[in-house]
Amino acid sequence: MLKISPDELKLVAQYIHDISGIFLDQSKSYLFETRLGSIATEHGCNTYKELYQKAKTEPSKIIERKIIDAISTNETLFFRDKGPFELLQHKLLPELIDARTPASPALKTNLKIWSAASSTGQELYSIAIIIKEMLPNISKYTIKLLGTDISDGAVAQASRGKYNKFEMERGLPGDKLQRYFTMFGDSWTIKDEIRAMVQFRKLNLMLPFVGLGKFDIIFCRNVAIYFTLPDRQKLFNKIADSLADDGYLIIGSTESLTGICPRFIPKRHLRSIFYQKK
Amino acid sequence: MRNMTILVVDDDPVIRRMLEKRLEKEGYEVLIAEDGYQARKILPQQHIDVVLTDLMMPGSIGGIEVLDIAKKISQNIEVILITAHSSVDTAVEAMKKGAADYLEKPINFDELFLRLEKIANVQSIMRNALDLSQAMDTTESAAALTIQNLEIRTAELQSRIESIEAILRDEQNPAYDRIYKVLDLLSQKNDLLI
Repeated sequence: MLKISPDELKLVAQYIHDISGIFLDQSKSYLFETRLGSIATEHGCNTYKELYQKAKTEPSKIIERKIIDAISTNETLFFRDKGPFELLQHKLLPELIDARTPASPALKTNLKIWSAASSTGQELYSIAIIIKEMLPNISKYTIKLLGTDISDGAVAQASRGKYNKFEMERGLPGDKLQRYFTMFGDSWTIKDEIRAMVQFRKLNLMLPFVGLGKFDIIFCRNVAIYFTLPDRQKLFNKIADSLADDGYLIIGSTESLTGICPRFIPKRHLRSIFYQKK
Repeated sequence: MRNMTILVVDDDPVIRRMLEKRLEKEGYEVLIAEDGYQARKILPQQHIDVVLTDLMMPGSIGGIEVLDIAKKISQNIEVILITAHSSVDTAVEAMKKGAADYLEKPINFDELFLRLEKIANVQSIMRNALDLSQAMDTTESAAALTIQNLEIRTAELQSRIESIEAILRDEQNPAYDRIYKVLDLLSQKNDLLI
């Protein structure tokens, strides 16, 4: 494995922060080496400084994309941590549907949900499955489920909706597996009826959110933990701007908005917490 | 590492006996099925790590069907197909369907043992990863509980501070009244300070 020098650590950490907002602890040089070493070798770089210069100047941005793919963590599961999904099913969606259903039955109910760091898509597909099961008369709704992630690789995999057995290992109950996935060999593919409900695209949460509009529910779980405090403050401020006044925000179960965004207040439902704007 | 259970499926009694002997000598637990039908009975009843099956067997349950049955029971069951040289194409198709590997006849035992070793390694890494993620889940839910309590409590205290400030700044009321109001508020919500 190619070793990284202290000077290179500084340089590369700054570069990664610039392109992705992700703040990597410079005391953990192995993080850089295990994730970037093979990219350096693959592109014929003998040092990380060379890799940095190549990535920065290369017009196709291929190396930059590879670095983002390698740095962004894709550990994610279907129905990872039951709490948020029970919350969605038993509290947020029923409340929202009550609030959003128009008086005239001829009109459709609009729902917009955003998975802000969708990784390889498991979270958004889990949301889609819940909605599908909750709303038998789904044609009476206009539902927009958007997943965004900074990694092109993750967005591509999410759009394919194909997972290997390691990615399927936990979280998904057997009946849902059979009902919503097609097995072929060692891989599982989400069925078209669910895939058609969702949309994935690339988005860097550090940049302005352009053309997203307002959402009724935003999931932003376990992504801000990779950002610095000022970046977290900026992020949740932008999220507050993108959330409907009576909308809901769900963050990771070990995350907190205390000292990060005073525009949100936490509310408890059973064993979960969600946030609403003040 | 070697305590894997292997189901040998082959209609040829000579090959069955040979596989059974060699595998047991290597320390594996061995179960035997004389054809696909027996394999179909045994698979759901026993814990099996690896199925070693002949590709071509009499009847409608051949190696490919055994593969399908095993994978439906558990994705964690690995299947190695034994094939004649002429059916290598079918074996490659089987690998696309999830078979771990295939071996050509006559069986080279060194090769077989290497493949089994590799499967054992992967399974042990898998178990380790699962243990780690379960440990992470436990840590995470404990941390989540603490953080959520703190989060709610902090928000409540914050809103209380704001009400206290509003009362104290309300110059319409005499200072004395304001102090009493604040003390009242504090005593009402004393539980928050615990």
